Amino acid sequence: MVRLSRVMLKEAGHAIDKTLSEILVCPLSKQPLRVCEKTKSLVSDTIGVSFPIKDGIPCLVPKDGKILGEDGDDASKAS
Amino acid sequence: MAALLGTVFPVTFTGHNQLPAKFPSRRRIVVKSSTSSDERQILFNRIAPVYDNLNDLLSLGQHRIWKNMSVSWSGARRGDKVLDLCCGSGDLAFLLSEKVGPSGKVMSLDFSSEQLAVAASRQKLRGRSCYKCIEWIEGDATDLPFDDCEFDAITMGYGLRNVVGRDRAMREMYRVLKPGSRVSILDFNKSDQSVTTFMQVLVFLTRRCGCLICEFMFPKANNLLGGFGYCKDWMIDNVVVPVATLYNLAKEYEYLKYSINGYLTGEELEALAMEAGFSSARHYEISGGFMGNLVAVR
Repeated sequence: MVRLSRVMLKEAGHAIDKTLSEILVCPLSKQPLRVCEKTKSLVSDTIGVSFPIKDGIPCLVPKDGKILGEDGDDASKAS
Repeated sequence: MAALLGTVFPVTFTGHNQLPAKFPSRRRIVVKSSTSSDERQILFNRIAPVYDNLNDLLSLGQHRIWKNMSVSWSGARRGDKVLDLCCGSGDLAFLLSEKVGPSGKVMSLDFSSEQLAVAASRQKLRGRSCYKCIEWIEGDATDLPFDDCEFDAITMGYGLRNVVGRDRAMREMYRVLKPGSRVSILDFNKSDQSVTTFMQVLVFLTRRCGCLICEFMFPKANNLLGGFGYCKDWMIDNVVVPVATLYNLAKEYEYLKYSINGYLTGEELEALAMEAGFSSARHYEISGGFMGNLVAVR
């Protein structure tokens, strides 16, 4: 059942493996990341930056981070 | 990585030799070396579609042997959680997954989205069960998205030479490695000592062969350093780049010459690792000194 749900998440193309999201940290703050289903991204609440997930691949290059606005939505690029 | 014909012409590079001024160069294109991380990212995105084919062609398949050696040196074992940096199209990641098995985990990181796309599609096509343990991540080797002391082994194949900020990358590798674990870094070898090996092969060829081909290829054989540096530049200008031209990637592969010239020697790599905090570091020359593999222990 766990394997099936992992496969389904992967093939969705936007979400990532839950185990993977627990291993990854923010490349800038080195703090845990939160998966945001709404924006299909990984969010660093510590520094207020989100990183996109494209085709199931987390994009954690620091310059690709987007600063979150006051309402938690993406405002601008981190760099 | 684009490996040269190391097994046929086991040359290494001092990085200080230039083509003789009077030698008629067939190519007059002046290539500016890529210095920024962004430029290199664009370069590796551009060569992604033909990367694997050119690696096989230019190294006559030898790069597979070197990569297998590098994985063995990493000490990766069944069930381990390992990291492959600058994974490109995934060669080392696939080898690591065979070592750690389905109970292990391979995190594979690269800054080129195109290379990762190729890697992910290769993973789907191959379909071996152990490959399912590989996760692809777009990231920066100088700012790793991992916690401290996370990995049982780290590999890096033909990546450190292309990283802007090698000392920072080395410190990051140290940080995310578990105490007592190893990092195994494979790349071209930049060494003066291998000139002796090269000259021994050269003398053997010219004496035994005595044919026009050898005379054509080694016209500066009587000048030790000139012949050595000339051969390296000759190989890149007259073998690698023409092959890359067939794929419309001549400029990208001319970058190879500048990146090798700007790389570190084995001793310098060992010093870099020690400065980053590793408890020991040893650089091994392989394939007649053409390639080198740094092994450092946290």
